[in-house]
Amino acid sequence: MKPRLILAATLVPLGLIIAAVPENTTKPYKLTAEELLEEVKSGTQFMQPDEVAAMIVAKDPSLQLIDVRSADEFEKFSLPGAVNIPLPDILNSEWEETINQDVRLNVFYSNGTNDANQAWMITRQLGYRNNYVLSGGLNYWAETIMNPQQPAETSPNEEIAKYNFRQGAGQALGGGMEAAQSSSMPAKGAAPAVVKTQKKKKAQGGC
Amino acid sequence: MSDKNQKKKYMNPYLGGVLLGLVLIFAFWVSGRGLGASGAIKSVIVAGVETVAPAHYESAKFYSEYKNSHESPLKSWLVLEMLGVVIGGFLSGAIAGRLKFKVEKSPKITNRTRIIFAVIGGIFFGFGSQLGRGCTSGSALTGMAVLSLGGFVTMAAIFGTAFALAYFARRLWI
Amino acid sequence: MGPLVVNEIISENANLFLAFIIGIGFGFVLEQNGFSSSRRLAGMFYGYDTTVLKVFFTAAITAATGLLFMSLFGWIDLNLIYINPTYLWSAIGGGVVMGAGFILGGYCPGTSVCAASIGKIDAMAFVGGLFIGVLIFAEGYPLWEGFYNAKFLGSPLLSDVLGTSRGLLTFLIILMALAMFWVGEWAEKRFARDNYKLNQK
Repeated sequence: MKPRLILAATLVPLGLIIAAVPENTTKPYKLTAEELLEEVKSGTQFMQPDEVAAMIVAKDPSLQLIDVRSADEFEKFSLPGAVNIPLPDILNSEWEETINQDVRLNVFYSNGTNDANQAWMITRQLGYRNNYVLSGGLNYWAETIMNPQQPAETSPNEEIAKYNFRQGAGQALGGGMEAAQSSSMPAKGAAPAVVKTQKKKKAQGGC
Repeated sequence: MSDKNQKKKYMNPYLGGVLLGLVLIFAFWVSGRGLGASGAIKSVIVAGVETVAPAHYESAKFYSEYKNSHESPLKSWLVLEMLGVVIGGFLSGAIAGRLKFKVEKSPKITNRTRIIFAVIGGIFFGFGSQLGRGCTSGSALTGMAVLSLGGFVTMAAIFGTAFALAYFARRLWI
Repeated sequence: MGPLVVNEIISENANLFLAFIIGIGFGFVLEQNGFSSSRRLAGMFYGYDTTVLKVFFTAAITAATGLLFMSLFGWIDLNLIYINPTYLWSAIGGGVVMGAGFILGGYCPGTSVCAASIGKIDAMAFVGGLFIGVLIFAEGYPLWEGFYNAKFLGSPLLSDVLGTSRGLLTFLIILMALAMFWVGEWAEKRFARDNYKLNQK
């Protein structure tokens, strides 16, 4: 008789508490304003076009480009392999797995840097990692990768190497981009497959 | 079942339940999953078939599905857990003086009948556990602890059926 | 922050080792409560021994309450734990077949292994039967594959289906379980058998 009563006396109040308390669904780690400011000041969220271009050319699977412009702009032109998450939709649950994960390197881009930066700030404040911003956006991308300035003959080797790389990348990407321009289907088609592999590591189970 | 040998009593069931609940919580906290049993049987069968009949293993759908989602049948959480169960059960039995080869049944039937029905029961349960994706430990107990709908459904089906058939099987037990 | 292995606080191998330890705890508790006795397990369905009910539901409510409190304190992230998926038809069908197996065999897979480890021959026979049953399922898989995969509902929680919060549902289950315990105690007195001793503290 007694154990039953002890059990009841313990679990009923605990049950009442757990029923009354609102559910704790917030992510445990969020940045404070100070922490966010530090990161903004140090500018660690930026990735240079060269870096991103190199990853695209090498077909690095950990790269995930995210276009935060509107769907129309995305259809007209997008970088290879990019997924379209218009900035107003960024907190939609369907994208949560894409922006909240630990496996891939998400790089937000827009025409300039404003929208991409905003996307980064929103997701960073939520504590998500692995999100970056394409420095200078597509405008800078066009200047550097697509139409690289030929350096003067007397420039340091570094500059010339960079130019050669950009030229090559531009051509490689140019081919890819044309395909993206002519039919946005391939880009879209790639997106669903990509989203699947980004699954955050979940517990295995089953009996 | 007289107490001639001064056999130790079983633990108080409520205390036992709390302890089992704590084991379950620990499992979730460490591995993100609850307990289970039938999956281990499946792993052993799969490993066995792979060794004995590799060609069939490659072709038959059940095994190939398993192969695609698991790296190695015997390096599985459940198999190791089940090995632990063997040890744990043995330890408890040893401490309580319950280690003994015997066939447990109603006094009204023979050992042979009991063994036959044990095998039949096992066949049913083995099949059902695969169909239901879990047994009482994995689906019902663990499922209820996480409030899973599937867990409740399976549990209701198991217990409901057992109650319904109890009358017909009563000779085995009472 | 749990679960430890999902948040990569411990390695996969540590996870497997801990599975073994957890199993030892599981087996020990099962045997200590007499789940190594088929008559005790089957007694649930005749009323003369409701240990299964008490242990099972106490464990379920303890674990459910415990997990929710741990989530409240930030010790575990409940979004990362495994919730078993619901395939409605096979959940019911499998449950029915298992129920038959339970009442005929007197064990379930976990308890049969535990009982076999202390020498119960009928438990060993049950384990043998388990292997055969699984093999039958595996070999005939194409026959029931459709049924097996039917009506996939994802991994819904009962609280979602009923539209309540998890805490509230847990509280209701606690109340229901306690009510069942009282009924169980009554049943044990009412349906007691001469040739069976409860042998409990």
